[in-house]
Amino acid sequence: MIPLKPVSAQRKVALGLAFFVLFVAAWSLATFGGFVSKTFLADPITMVKEGYALFAQHGFAKDVGITIWRVVGGFVLAAALAVPLGIAMGAYKPIEAFFEPFVSFARYLPASAFIPLLILWAGIGEMQKLLVIFIGSFFQIVLMVAVSVGATRRDLIEAAYTLGADARGVVRRVMLPNSSPAIAESLRLVLGWAWTYVIVAELIGASSGIGHMITDSQALLNTGQIIFGIIVIGIIGLISDFLFKWANHALFPWSLA
Amino acid sequence: MRIVAGLDTPTVGRVLLDGIPVVGPGADRGMVFQSYTLFPWLNVKENICFGLREKREPQTQQDEIAAHYVAKVGLASFEHHYPKMLSGGMQQRTAIARALANDPKILLLDEPFGALDNQTRGLMQELLLSIWESERKTVLFVTHDIEEAIFMANRVVVMTARPGRVKTDVPIPLSHPRHYTVKTSPEFSELKRRLTEEIRSEVLKVAALV
Repeated sequence: MIPLKPVSAQRKVALGLAFFVLFVAAWSLATFGGFVSKTFLADPITMVKEGYALFAQHGFAKDVGITIWRVVGGFVLAAALAVPLGIAMGAYKPIEAFFEPFVSFARYLPASAFIPLLILWAGIGEMQKLLVIFIGSFFQIVLMVAVSVGATRRDLIEAAYTLGADARGVVRRVMLPNSSPAIAESLRLVLGWAWTYVIVAELIGASSGIGHMITDSQALLNTGQIIFGIIVIGIIGLISDFLFKWANHALFPWSLA
Repeated sequence: MRIVAGLDTPTVGRVLLDGIPVVGPGADRGMVFQSYTLFPWLNVKENICFGLREKREPQTQQDEIAAHYVAKVGLASFEHHYPKMLSGGMQQRTAIARALANDPKILLLDEPFGALDNQTRGLMQELLLSIWESERKTVLFVTHDIEEAIFMANRVVVMTARPGRVKTDVPIPLSHPRHYTVKTSPEFSELKRRLTEEIRSEVLKVAALV
Protein backbone atom coordinates (compact mmCIF):
# COMPACT_ATOMS: atom_id res chain seq x y z
CA MET A 1 0.00 0.00 0.00
CA ILE A 2 1.22 3.48 -0.89
CA PRO A 3 0.20 6.36 1.43
CA LEU A 4 -2.66 8.55 0.12
CA LYS A 5 -2.93 6.61 -3.15
CA PRO A 6 -6.65 6.67 -4.07
CA VAL A 7 -8.70 3.48 -4.58
CA SER A 8 -11.13 2.98 -7.46
CA ALA A 9 -14.85 3.56 -6.78
CA GLN A 10 -15.65 -0.15 -7.18
CA ARG A 11 -12.94 -1.28 -4.79
CA LYS A 12 -14.00 1.36 -2.29
CA VAL A 13 -17.56 0.01 -2.20
CA ALA A 14 -16.31 -3.60 -2.08
CA LEU A 15 -13.97 -2.84 0.85
CA GLY A 16 -16.68 -0.93 2.72
CA LEU A 17 -19.13 -3.81 2.32
CA ALA A 18 -16.48 -6.36 3.24
CA PHE A 19 -16.24 -4.97 6.75
CA PHE A 20 -20.01 -5.25 7.27
CA VAL A 21 -19.88 -8.86 6.08
CA LEU A 22 -16.96 -9.61 8.39
CA PHE A 23 -18.75 -7.96 11.30
CA VAL A 24 -21.93 -10.00 10.83
CA ALA A 25 -19.83 -13.14 10.33
CA ALA A 26 -18.05 -12.60 13.65
CA TRP A 27 -21.39 -11.90 15.33
CA SER A 28 -22.87 -15.10 13.86
CA LEU A 29 -19.89 -17.13 14.98
CA ALA A 30 -20.17 -15.79 18.52
CA THR A 31 -23.92 -16.47 18.78
CA PHE A 32 -24.51 -19.58 16.63
CA GLY A 33 -21.28 -21.11 17.84
CA GLY A 34 -22.63 -20.90 21.38
CA PHE A 35 -19.79 -18.72 22.69
CA VAL A 36 -22.20 -16.09 24.03
CA SER A 37 -25.44 -16.81 25.88
CA LYS A 38 -28.67 -15.92 24.02
CA THR A 39 -29.81 -13.93 27.04
CA PHE A 40 -27.05 -11.40 26.48
CA LEU A 41 -26.74 -11.31 22.72
CA ALA A 42 -29.31 -12.39 20.14
CA ASP A 43 -28.10 -13.97 16.92
CA PRO A 44 -28.54 -12.05 13.62
CA ILE A 45 -31.50 -14.11 12.41
CA THR A 46 -33.44 -13.65 15.66
CA MET A 47 -32.64 -9.96 15.47
CA VAL A 48 -34.14 -9.69 11.97
CA LYS A 49 -37.22 -11.69 13.01
CA GLU A 50 -37.73 -9.49 16.06
CA GLY A 51 -37.32 -6.46 13.90
CA TYR A 52 -39.98 -7.70 11.50
CA ALA A 53 -42.28 -8.40 14.44
CA LEU A 54 -41.68 -4.89 15.77
CA PHE A 55 -42.91 -3.32 12.55
CA ALA A 56 -45.68 -5.87 11.86
CA GLN A 57 -47.18 -6.26 15.34
CA HIS A 58 -45.98 -3.47 17.61
CA GLY A 59 -46.36 -0.43 15.33
CA PHE A 60 -42.65 0.38 15.49
CA ALA A 61 -42.94 2.59 12.43
CA LYS A 62 -44.81 5.10 14.57
CA ASP A 63 -41.99 5.09 17.15
CA VAL A 64 -39.43 5.69 14.43
CA GLY A 65 -41.54 8.53 13.04
CA ILE A 66 -41.89 10.19 16.44
CA THR A 67 -38.16 9.95 17.13
CA ILE A 68 -37.31 11.47 13.75
CA TRP A 69 -39.81 14.23 14.37
CA ARG A 70 -38.23 15.04 17.76
CA VAL A 71 -34.70 15.13 16.40
CA VAL A 72 -35.60 17.25 13.40
CA GLY A 73 -37.83 19.56 15.48
CA GLY A 74 -35.26 20.18 18.22
CA PHE A 75 -32.42 20.46 15.74
CA VAL A 76 -34.20 22.90 13.41
CA LEU A 77 -35.21 25.03 16.40
CA ALA A 78 -31.61 25.10 17.66
CA ALA A 79 -30.15 25.79 14.20
CA ALA A 80 -32.66 28.58 13.46
CA LEU A 81 -31.46 30.51 16.51
CA ALA A 82 -27.84 29.36 16.70
CA VAL A 83 -26.77 30.03 13.11
CA PRO A 84 -27.66 33.76 13.10
CA LEU A 85 -26.09 34.21 16.55
CA GLY A 86 -22.96 32.37 15.41
CA ILE A 87 -22.71 34.55 12.31
CA ALA A 88 -23.06 37.73 14.38
CA MET A 89 -20.39 36.48 16.79
CA GLY A 90 -18.01 35.48 14.02
CA ALA A 91 -18.37 38.79 12.23
CA TYR A 92 -18.49 41.27 15.12
CA LYS A 93 -15.86 40.94 17.81
CA PRO A 94 -17.74 42.81 20.61
CA ILE A 95 -20.70 40.44 20.20
CA GLU A 96 -18.28 37.53 20.33
CA ALA A 97 -16.61 38.90 23.47
CA PHE A 98 -20.06 39.20 25.08
CA PHE A 99 -21.36 35.69 24.34
CA GLU A 100 -18.31 33.53 23.77
CA PRO A 101 -17.29 32.84 27.41
CA PHE A 102 -20.82 31.80 28.36
CA VAL A 103 -21.36 29.69 25.26
CA SER A 104 -18.02 27.94 25.77
CA PHE A 105 -19.06 27.13 29.33
CA ALA A 106 -22.58 26.04 28.35
CA ARG A 107 -21.17 23.79 25.65
CA TYR A 108 -19.73 21.49 28.30
CA LEU A 109 -22.98 21.18 30.25
CA PRO A 110 -24.14 17.67 29.38
CA ALA A 111 -27.58 17.75 27.76
CA SER A 112 -28.48 14.43 29.37
CA ALA A 113 -27.88 15.86 32.86
CA PHE A 114 -30.62 18.41 32.18
CA ILE A 115 -33.23 15.71 31.67
CA PRO A 116 -34.37 15.50 35.33
CA LEU A 117 -34.57 19.29 35.49
CA LEU A 118 -36.41 19.52 32.19
CA ILE A 119 -38.91 16.89 33.32
CA LEU A 120 -39.55 19.10 36.33
CA TRP A 121 -40.00 22.17 34.15
CA ALA A 122 -41.66 20.81 31.04
CA GLY A 123 -43.14 17.49 32.10
CA ILE A 124 -42.57 14.35 30.06
CA GLY A 125 -44.26 15.63 26.91
CA GLU A 126 -42.77 16.54 23.57
CA MET A 127 -41.50 19.89 24.81
CA GLN A 128 -39.06 18.18 27.16
CA LYS A 129 -37.59 16.02 24.35
CA LEU A 130 -37.22 19.02 22.07
CA LEU A 131 -35.49 20.98 24.83
CA VAL A 132 -32.95 18.22 25.47
CA ILE A 133 -31.96 18.24 21.81
CA PHE A 134 -32.04 22.02 21.74
CA ILE A 135 -29.64 22.32 24.70
CA GLY A 136 -27.39 19.65 23.26
CA SER A 137 -27.19 21.25 19.81
CA PHE A 138 -27.56 25.00 20.28
CA PHE A 139 -24.25 25.88 21.94
CA GLN A 140 -22.27 23.55 19.71
CA ILE A 141 -23.72 25.11 16.56
CA VAL A 142 -23.14 28.66 17.83
CA LEU A 143 -19.46 28.06 18.46
CA MET A 144 -18.76 26.14 15.28
CA VAL A 145 -20.53 28.73 13.12
CA ALA A 146 -18.75 31.60 14.88
CA VAL A 147 -15.37 29.96 14.29
CA SER A 148 -16.01 29.31 10.59
CA VAL A 149 -17.36 32.82 9.94
CA GLY A 150 -14.47 34.35 11.87
CA ALA A 151 -11.98 32.35 9.82
CA THR A 152 -12.91 34.13 6.58
CA ARG A 153 -9.73 34.95 4.65
CA ARG A 154 -8.63 38.52 5.39
CA ASP A 155 -7.54 39.19 1.82
CA LEU A 156 -11.00 38.36 0.47
CA ILE A 157 -12.53 40.86 2.90
CA GLU A 158 -9.97 43.48 1.88
CA ALA A 159 -10.63 42.80 -1.80
CA ALA A 160 -14.34 43.39 -1.16
CA TYR A 161 -13.58 46.69 0.58
CA THR A 162 -11.47 47.91 -2.34
CA LEU A 163 -14.39 47.02 -4.63
CA GLY A 164 -16.64 49.40 -2.71
CA ALA A 165 -18.38 47.06 -0.25
CA ASP A 166 -19.35 48.48 3.16
CA ALA A 167 -19.26 46.59 6.47
CA ARG A 168 -22.71 45.07 5.93
CA GLY A 169 -21.87 44.13 2.36
CA VAL A 170 -18.75 42.33 3.55
CA VAL A 171 -20.74 40.24 6.02
CA ARG A 172 -23.56 39.50 3.57
CA ARG A 173 -21.59 39.02 0.36
CA VAL A 174 -18.23 37.69 1.57
CA MET A 175 -18.30 36.19 5.07
CA LEU A 176 -21.66 34.42 4.63
CA PRO A 177 -21.11 32.76 1.25
CA ASN A 178 -17.51 31.98 2.15
CA SER A 179 -18.43 30.10 5.32
CA SER A 180 -21.68 28.46 4.17
CA PRO A 181 -20.06 25.11 3.28
CA ALA A 182 -18.38 25.03 6.70
CA ILE A 183 -21.69 25.96 8.40
CA ALA A 184 -23.48 23.17 6.54
CA GLU A 185 -20.74 20.76 7.58
CA SER A 186 -21.11 21.81 11.25
CA LEU A 187 -24.87 21.24 11.05
CA ARG A 188 -24.25 17.77 9.65
CA LEU A 189 -21.96 16.91 12.56
CA VAL A 190 -24.27 18.31 15.23
CA LEU A 191 -27.27 16.48 13.74
CA GLY A 192 -25.32 13.27 14.37
CA TRP A 193 -24.93 14.21 18.04
CA ALA A 194 -28.62 15.17 18.28
CA TRP A 195 -29.40 11.52 17.55
CA THR A 196 -27.66 10.40 20.72
CA TYR A 197 -29.46 13.03 22.80
CA VAL A 198 -32.91 12.00 21.58
CA ILE A 199 -32.36 8.36 22.53
CA VAL A 200 -31.15 9.36 25.98
CA ALA A 201 -34.20 11.58 26.39
CA GLU A 202 -36.44 8.71 25.33
CA LEU A 203 -34.78 6.21 27.65
CA ILE A 204 -35.98 8.30 30.59
CA GLY A 205 -39.62 9.20 30.91
CA ALA A 206 -41.02 8.59 27.43
CA SER A 207 -44.00 6.57 26.23
CA SER A 208 -43.03 6.39 22.58
CA GLY A 209 -40.02 6.52 20.30
CA ILE A 210 -37.08 4.23 19.53
CA GLY A 211 -35.46 4.86 22.92
CA HIS A 212 -38.68 3.92 24.70
CA MET A 213 -38.88 0.69 22.72
CA ILE A 214 -35.31 -0.12 23.76
CA THR A 215 -36.10 0.34 27.49
CA ASP A 216 -39.21 -1.82 27.09
CA SER A 217 -37.20 -4.56 25.41
CA GLN A 218 -34.63 -4.42 28.16
CA ALA A 219 -37.34 -5.22 30.71
CA LEU A 220 -38.26 -8.28 28.61
CA LEU A 221 -34.60 -9.26 28.07
CA ASN A 222 -35.26 -9.10 24.33
CA THR A 223 -31.76 -8.33 23.08
CA GLY A 224 -32.85 -8.94 19.48
CA GLN A 225 -35.18 -5.94 19.63
CA ILE A 226 -32.60 -3.77 21.37
CA ILE A 227 -30.00 -4.48 18.71
CA PHE A 228 -32.56 -3.95 15.98
CA GLY A 229 -33.47 -0.57 17.50
CA ILE A 230 -29.82 0.47 17.64
CA ILE A 231 -29.30 -0.59 14.04
CA VAL A 232 -32.37 1.38 12.92
CA ILE A 233 -30.89 4.50 14.54
CA GLY A 234 -27.61 3.84 12.72
CA ILE A 235 -29.38 3.48 9.40
CA ILE A 236 -31.44 6.65 9.83
CA GLY A 237 -28.26 8.48 10.83
CA LEU A 238 -26.51 7.20 7.72
CA ILE A 239 -29.42 8.34 5.52
CA SER A 240 -29.53 11.83 7.04
CA ASP A 241 -25.77 12.09 6.67
CA PHE A 242 -26.01 11.08 3.04
CA LEU A 243 -28.79 13.61 2.40
CA PHE A 244 -26.72 16.38 4.00
CA LYS A 245 -23.65 15.52 1.94
CA TRP A 246 -25.70 15.37 -1.21
CA ALA A 247 -27.29 18.75 -0.44
CA ASN A 248 -23.85 20.27 0.20
CA HIS A 249 -22.62 19.01 -3.16
CA ALA A 250 -25.67 20.47 -4.87
CA LEU A 251 -25.56 23.81 -3.03
CA PHE A 252 -21.83 24.50 -3.05
CA PRO A 253 -20.37 23.12 -6.27
CA TRP A 254 -17.65 25.80 -6.16
CA SER A 255 -16.08 24.44 -2.98
CA LEU A 256 -15.41 21.02 -4.52
CA ALA A 257 -14.59 21.74 -8.16
CA MET B 1 0.25 50.60 -1.12
CA ARG B 2 -2.07 49.43 1.67
CA ILE B 3 -2.25 53.00 2.97
CA VAL B 4 -3.22 54.30 -0.47
CA ALA B 5 -5.89 51.59 -0.63
CA GLY B 6 -7.15 52.73 2.79
CA LEU B 7 -6.59 49.29 4.32
CA ASP B 8 -3.97 50.65 6.75
CA THR B 9 -3.86 54.07 8.44
CA PRO B 10 -0.67 56.13 8.32
CA THR B 11 1.01 57.13 11.60
CA VAL B 12 2.04 60.46 10.03
CA GLY B 13 1.16 62.18 6.77
CA ARG B 14 -1.83 61.63 4.53
CA VAL B 15 -2.79 60.43 1.09
CA LEU B 16 -4.69 62.68 -1.31
CA LEU B 17 -6.55 61.45 -4.37
CA ASP B 18 -7.61 64.36 -6.62
CA GLY B 19 -7.21 66.60 -3.57
CA ILE B 20 -9.49 64.50 -1.37
CA PRO B 21 -7.88 62.77 1.62
CA VAL B 22 -8.12 58.98 1.75
CA VAL B 23 -9.82 57.86 4.97
CA GLY B 24 -10.74 54.26 4.18
CA PRO B 25 -10.99 51.75 1.37
CA GLY B 26 -13.26 52.66 -1.53
CA ALA B 27 -14.28 51.83 -5.06
CA ASP B 28 -12.27 54.75 -6.48
CA ARG B 29 -9.03 52.84 -5.79
CA GLY B 30 -9.18 49.40 -7.38
CA MET B 31 -6.66 46.88 -6.11
CA VAL B 32 -5.17 43.63 -7.34
CA PHE B 33 -3.37 41.61 -4.67
CA GLN B 34 -0.42 39.26 -4.94
CA SER B 35 -2.45 36.42 -3.43
CA TYR B 36 -5.39 35.10 -5.41
CA THR B 37 -8.41 36.96 -4.07
CA LEU B 38 -11.20 36.00 -6.44
CA PHE B 39 -14.34 35.04 -4.51
CA PRO B 40 -14.38 31.25 -4.87
CA TRP B 41 -18.20 30.99 -4.76
CA LEU B 42 -18.63 33.35 -7.72
CA ASN B 43 -17.78 32.51 -11.32
CA VAL B 44 -15.58 34.74 -13.48
CA LYS B 45 -18.44 36.96 -14.61
CA GLU B 46 -19.96 37.30 -11.13
CA ASN B 47 -16.54 38.15 -9.72
CA ILE B 48 -16.15 40.94 -12.28
CA CYS B 49 -19.66 42.22 -11.43
CA PHE B 50 -19.02 42.26 -7.65
CA GLY B 51 -18.29 45.98 -7.44
CA LEU B 52 -21.02 46.83 -9.96
CA ARG B 53 -23.60 44.96 -7.87
CA GLU B 54 -22.40 46.86 -4.82
CA LYS B 55 -23.07 50.09 -6.75
CA ARG B 56 -26.51 48.74 -7.75
CA GLU B 57 -25.83 49.12 -11.49
CA PRO B 58 -28.75 47.79 -13.58
CA GLN B 59 -28.28 44.20 -14.77
CA THR B 60 -28.01 45.07 -18.47
CA GLN B 61 -25.26 47.57 -17.67
CA GLN B 62 -23.44 44.95 -15.60
CA ASP B 63 -23.63 42.39 -18.40
CA GLU B 64 -22.27 44.90 -20.88
CA ILE B 65 -19.33 45.99 -18.70
CA ALA B 66 -18.50 42.40 -17.73
CA ALA B 67 -18.52 41.26 -21.36
CA HIS B 68 -16.22 44.14 -22.30
CA TYR B 69 -13.59 43.33 -19.67
CA VAL B 70 -13.89 39.56 -19.99
CA ALA B 71 -12.99 39.99 -23.67
CA LYS B 72 -10.23 42.44 -22.81
CA VAL B 73 -8.42 39.96 -20.56
CA GLY B 74 -9.03 37.12 -23.03
CA LEU B 75 -11.39 35.03 -20.91
CA ALA B 76 -14.50 35.21 -23.10
CA SER B 77 -15.12 31.44 -23.03
CA PHE B 78 -14.46 31.16 -19.28
CA GLU B 79 -17.21 33.49 -18.01
CA HIS B 80 -18.99 30.71 -16.13
CA HIS B 81 -15.94 28.99 -14.68
CA TYR B 82 -15.29 29.07 -10.94
CA PRO B 83 -11.86 30.33 -9.77
CA LYS B 84 -10.77 26.81 -8.75
CA MET B 85 -10.97 25.73 -12.39
CA LEU B 86 -8.63 28.53 -13.55
CA SER B 87 -4.85 28.74 -13.70
CA GLY B 88 -3.01 31.36 -11.64
CA GLY B 89 -2.58 33.63 -14.66
CA MET B 90 -6.27 33.42 -15.52
CA GLN B 91 -7.21 34.22 -11.92
CA GLN B 92 -5.05 37.33 -11.90
CA ARG B 93 -6.49 38.41 -15.28
CA THR B 94 -9.96 38.08 -13.79
CA ALA B 95 -8.83 40.08 -10.75
CA ILE B 96 -7.57 42.87 -13.04
CA ALA B 97 -10.85 42.83 -14.97
CA ARG B 98 -12.76 42.95 -11.67
CA ALA B 99 -10.81 46.01 -10.53
CA LEU B 100 -11.15 47.77 -13.91
CA ALA B 101 -14.90 47.06 -14.22
CA ASN B 102 -15.44 49.35 -11.24
CA ASP B 103 -13.88 52.20 -13.25
CA PRO B 104 -11.55 53.34 -10.41
CA LYS B 105 -9.59 56.59 -10.59
CA ILE B 106 -6.40 54.69 -9.87
CA LEU B 107 -5.45 51.04 -10.11
CA LEU B 108 -3.25 49.62 -7.33
CA LEU B 109 -1.29 46.51 -8.27
CA ASP B 110 0.58 44.83 -5.42
CA GLU B 111 3.01 42.40 -7.10
CA PRO B 112 0.11 40.92 -9.04
CA PHE B 113 2.30 38.60 -11.10
CA GLY B 114 4.64 37.64 -8.24
CA ALA B 115 3.24 34.11 -7.92
CA LEU B 116 3.23 33.35 -11.65
CA ASP B 117 5.88 31.50 -13.63
CA ASN B 118 8.27 33.52 -15.76
CA GLN B 119 6.64 32.83 -19.15
CA THR B 120 3.13 33.60 -17.93
CA ARG B 121 4.40 36.70 -16.20
CA GLY B 122 5.86 38.01 -19.47
CA LEU B 123 2.53 37.51 -21.25
CA MET B 124 0.62 39.14 -18.39
CA GLN B 125 2.88 42.19 -18.56
CA GLU B 126 2.15 42.57 -22.27
CA LEU B 127 -1.57 42.13 -21.69
CA LEU B 128 -1.67 44.70 -18.89
CA LEU B 129 0.42 47.11 -20.95
CA SER B 130 -1.95 46.84 -23.92
CA ILE B 131 -4.93 47.44 -21.59
CA TRP B 132 -3.17 50.47 -20.17
CA GLU B 133 -2.40 51.78 -23.65
CA SER B 134 -6.12 51.69 -24.49
CA GLU B 135 -7.50 52.90 -21.12
CA ARG B 136 -4.73 55.25 -19.93
CA LYS B 137 -5.64 54.82 -16.27
CA THR B 138 -3.16 55.77 -13.55
CA VAL B 139 -1.54 52.61 -12.19
CA LEU B 140 0.55 52.25 -9.04
CA PHE B 141 2.49 49.01 -9.44
CA VAL B 142 4.67 47.45 -6.74
CA THR B 143 7.27 44.93 -7.88
CA HIS B 144 10.66 43.49 -6.96
CA ASP B 145 11.39 42.72 -10.60
CA ILE B 146 13.48 45.47 -12.19
CA GLU B 147 12.74 44.35 -15.75
CA GLU B 148 9.04 44.30 -15.01
CA ALA B 149 9.26 47.82 -13.54
CA ILE B 150 11.02 49.27 -16.59
CA PHE B 151 8.87 47.46 -19.11
CA MET B 152 5.56 48.49 -17.51
CA ALA B 153 6.22 51.96 -16.14
CA ASN B 154 6.59 55.57 -17.20
CA ARG B 155 8.21 56.34 -13.85
CA VAL B 156 10.10 53.98 -11.58
CA VAL B 157 10.30 55.04 -7.94
CA VAL B 158 12.98 53.22 -5.95
CA MET B 159 12.30 52.82 -2.24
CA THR B 160 14.94 52.55 0.47
CA ALA B 161 15.05 49.53 2.73
CA ARG B 162 13.75 50.08 6.28
CA PRO B 163 12.51 52.72 6.71
CA GLY B 164 10.84 52.60 3.30
CA ARG B 165 11.36 56.08 1.84
CA VAL B 166 11.50 57.31 -1.74
CA LYS B 167 15.11 57.07 -2.89
CA THR B 168 15.01 58.01 -6.55
CA ASP B 169 12.38 58.73 -9.17
CA VAL B 170 13.54 57.57 -12.60
CA PRO B 171 11.51 58.52 -15.70
CA ILE B 172 11.26 55.77 -18.32
CA PRO B 173 11.35 57.45 -21.76
CA LEU B 174 10.52 54.29 -23.78
CA SER B 175 7.75 55.05 -26.28
CA HIS B 176 4.31 53.44 -26.46
CA PRO B 177 3.05 51.05 -27.71
CA ARG B 178 5.81 48.94 -26.26
CA HIS B 179 6.71 45.61 -27.76
CA TYR B 180 8.35 42.86 -25.68
CA THR B 181 11.47 43.14 -27.85
CA VAL B 182 12.16 46.50 -26.17
CA LYS B 183 13.54 44.43 -23.27
CA THR B 184 16.65 43.68 -25.32
CA SER B 185 17.23 47.27 -26.55
CA PRO B 186 20.32 49.30 -25.40
CA GLU B 187 18.18 52.01 -23.65
CA PHE B 188 16.46 49.26 -21.68
CA SER B 189 19.78 47.74 -20.65
CA GLU B 190 21.09 51.11 -19.54
CA LEU B 191 18.00 51.75 -17.37
CA LYS B 192 18.28 48.29 -15.94
CA ARG B 193 21.96 48.82 -15.10
CA ARG B 194 21.18 52.06 -13.31
CA LEU B 195 18.23 50.71 -11.31
CA THR B 196 20.13 47.56 -10.41
CA GLU B 197 22.84 49.71 -8.80
CA GLU B 198 20.25 51.79 -6.91
CA ILE B 199 18.57 48.72 -5.50
CA ARG B 200 21.71 46.69 -4.86
CA SER B 201 22.97 49.15 -2.27
CA GLU B 202 19.64 48.84 -0.44
CA VAL B 203 19.68 45.07 -0.54
CA LEU B 204 23.21 45.06 0.84
CA LYS B 205 22.06 47.30 3.69
CA VAL B 206 19.30 44.87 4.63
CA ALA B 207 21.66 41.92 4.45
CA ALA B 208 23.97 43.94 6.77
CA LEU B 209 26.91 43.27 4.53
CA VAL B 210 28.00 46.92 4.31
